Amino acid sequence: MRVTQSMLSGNLLRNLSSSYSKLDKLQEQINTGKKVTRPSDDPVVAMKGIGYRTDLNNVEQYSRNIGEAYNWLDTTDDTFDKIGSTLQRANELMVQATSDTTTPEDRKKINSELKQLREHVQSLANTKIGERYIFSGTKTTTAPYQDGVGYDTNVVDNAFNKSIEIQVFDGINIQINTTPIGIFKEIDQMFEQIDKDITSEADSSTLSAHLTTIDDNLNKLLNTRADIGARQNRVELMDERLQTQEIIATKLMSQNEDVDYEEAIVEMTTQESILRAALSAGANIIQPTLVDFIK
Amino acid sequence: MRSTFMGLEASKRGLFAQQSALYTTGHNISNANTEGYTRQRVNMTPTLGYPGIGLDSPKTAGFIGTGVEVTAVQRIRDDFTDKQYRQETNKLGYWQAKSDTITQMEDILNEPSDYGLAQTLDQFWNSLQDLNVNPEDGGARAVVIQRGIAVADSFNYMYNSLSKVKENTAKEIGVLLKDANSILEQIASLNGQIQAIEPNGYMPNDLYDARDSLLDKLSTYFPIETTKVPSGGNALAIAEGATTVSLKLNDGTTVKLVDGNDYVQLRNSGDSATDGQTPTGMVTGLHIVKVNSNGTETFLSNDWSSTRKTVNDINNFSTLGKFKGLVDSYGYSTDGSGDANTEKGQLPDMINKLNLMAQSFATEFNKLHKDGTDLTGTSGEVFFVQNGTTDETGITAGNIYVAQNLIDDPNLIAASDSDPNPGNPEPGNGKQALKLANMKFSGLSELEDISVQTYFEGLIGQLGVDGQQAERLAYNAQTLQQAVEERRDSVSSVSLDEEMTNMITFQQAYNANARMITVVDETLDKIINGMGRVGL
Repeated sequence: MRVTQSMLSGNLLRNLSSSYSKLDKLQEQINTGKKVTRPSDDPVVAMKGIGYRTDLNNVEQYSRNIGEAYNWLDTTDDTFDKIGSTLQRANELMVQATSDTTTPEDRKKINSELKQLREHVQSLANTKIGERYIFSGTKTTTAPYQDGVGYDTNVVDNAFNKSIEIQVFDGINIQINTTPIGIFKEIDQMFEQIDKDITSEADSSTLSAHLTTIDDNLNKLLNTRADIGARQNRVELMDERLQTQEIIATKLMSQNEDVDYEEAIVEMTTQESILRAALSAGANIIQPTLVDFIK
Repeated sequence: MRSTFMGLEASKRGLFAQQSALYTTGHNISNANTEGYTRQRVNMTPTLGYPGIGLDSPKTAGFIGTGVEVTAVQRIRDDFTDKQYRQETNKLGYWQAKSDTITQMEDILNEPSDYGLAQTLDQFWNSLQDLNVNPEDGGARAVVIQRGIAVADSFNYMYNSLSKVKENTAKEIGVLLKDANSILEQIASLNGQIQAIEPNGYMPNDLYDARDSLLDKLSTYFPIETTKVPSGGNALAIAEGATTVSLKLNDGTTVKLVDGNDYVQLRNSGDSATDGQTPTGMVTGLHIVKVNSNGTETFLSNDWSSTRKTVNDINNFSTLGKFKGLVDSYGYSTDGSGDANTEKGQLPDMINKLNLMAQSFATEFNKLHKDGTDLTGTSGEVFFVQNGTTDETGITAGNIYVAQNLIDDPNLIAASDSDPNPGNPEPGNGKQALKLANMKFSGLSELEDISVQTYFEGLIGQLGVDGQQAERLAYNAQTLQQAVEERRDSVSSVSLDEEMTNMITFQQAYNANARMITVVDETLDKIINGMGRVGL
């Protein structure tokens, strides 16, 4: 085959430019840390990349939701604990009050503390997270206890008994609120009755009937707390699962599209030396022609 | 009896012939880097020997040579490699045009990345999850609106950018056809000049080169076929004559484009654009016209036999050449009717699919949104509308937007699933927001029962596969074209070493001829001045 100068220089140029384009690709990979920057680089990787991003995004969102679930359940549990101790105290006071040795004057003193306890339970029922009343069902902007609203009505609005659910995984919802408005109402009515009985100086046997009611309410509270505890456990399990899931999703995404730096850098160095060799060979080949050797 | 001065004449012919060869060598060296230049060679033949043959020719021993003459200056070129080159350049033109368009589309869709539509949608679904957690929070509501606007913006951006690319492709088709038309005119004009020169026994090598360069360029645009028509008169046997250029169609028929110094121009059919070359609607085909001297145009049939309008259906064009590559990107009518439903092509397909996606996404989302109730306990309204209206029908990727009343008052987002009758507001109820967020996973019947996100993934995957194919085939075609080009260069391009060797050869031959003249001179001197002077 007859080879001419223009063929040599043309070939050199072509090879140099293909060398440069390979360098460019590698440089892009190293700079971005990604194997693919456009779908046509590798359609499968690109498609999977979109999917993995969505997965990771979901997991991150669910983790954020879980944080809110903790917040609600912990606050609810804490509030119930306080209501529990309030009822305990009421129980103690009532035991004292039902004693036959307690005079009606003493009972009235006890009653003033009981009134305080009633108000305390009312304020606990109005517990808020941020601007939201957590015991108001879906009526979160309305306090469960105010005059004429919430449980201070004969027929409680059904919305106060509605659940608030958040999603913690694909298709898995967890109820984060508790709807104890019925219990609150009973507790409140109980305190009201006690107040009436003490004020009307009822006998100790009438008063001692209230001890059972307090006990009943305490039991109801405990049952609800058990349910909250179970849900807390579930949220913790879910949280752990999400954390694992996040690691897996991140790993999958990284394996799918992240560049193997060692490989890329080694390849880049190789490509660089090839370019250097091509350049120096080019300089040697292109220069001399017969012109340089004849007088 | 031979002439006394015959030796002088023979050497003079030698001098002239070597000089021509030397000058041609110079011409080659000068054009060593000229694009499309073919090296030239001086064809030398010995002149007829002495004596000539005839009844009364002198009887001498031997048949003495009388020197050399230049019969032609010929360019060294191989028709077969030209043909191969043009075939490869056809393919390269097609795939490069496709690959270029797909690259632009990939840039616009910008996937996989943290800024594309997929990510924007993810953020939108996330904002709905947050709304489910905090349905009474004004901030969470505002975020949903803003993310919704971002989704609409992403659709709008993709639609507008793709439309822009489509518009630019139309312009490119127009420029290509104008260029092709100018090439046809130039080839015809070169044919005319060649036909004027060849009958005089000359070889217009540099005109041949110019014509071949034009044919090379034309064949990147269209698959063409060339035939040669010899010039009459005193033309040399090796003269190339005029070239007839025809466009090859899929069904084996051809469309005559240049015949001698006559040529036609290509026009987009079914198109009312003023220049007749830049398409405005989808491409349906090409027809050919003859431009008359007064500027009017006459339609011609494919073989120019009649003045009737023949539309060459675009579906009859093989997938060769940049023109078809651009048309396949820009969009054409599959049955040549120009009906909007028959449109096909890389860009319109993508735009249509985005429209379908936007439409079904908006419809489903609106349906769910209307099922919910807002912060005041009344039923939800449409969320996505045609920009500037309250209309949800006819939403496309280009006009989808969030309804203005929702932007003005985010409390109208129907996050709750409470009963709208009698309209008891439940601010803490975010169940409908959760249903909206879970639309992420639900298949839409318009999208063949797959979710918006998966459908989009499919689009990106398909685009990637198409892009990869176009890129690979463009690369292959380029490699093949380079191989053929190399073969052609091997035959036709100037080698300086060779020219230098030739230069020395011709220079020495010239010197030797000059020396020969001196020798003849000396012998004549001997005869004229030295003979018959015995004893002087």
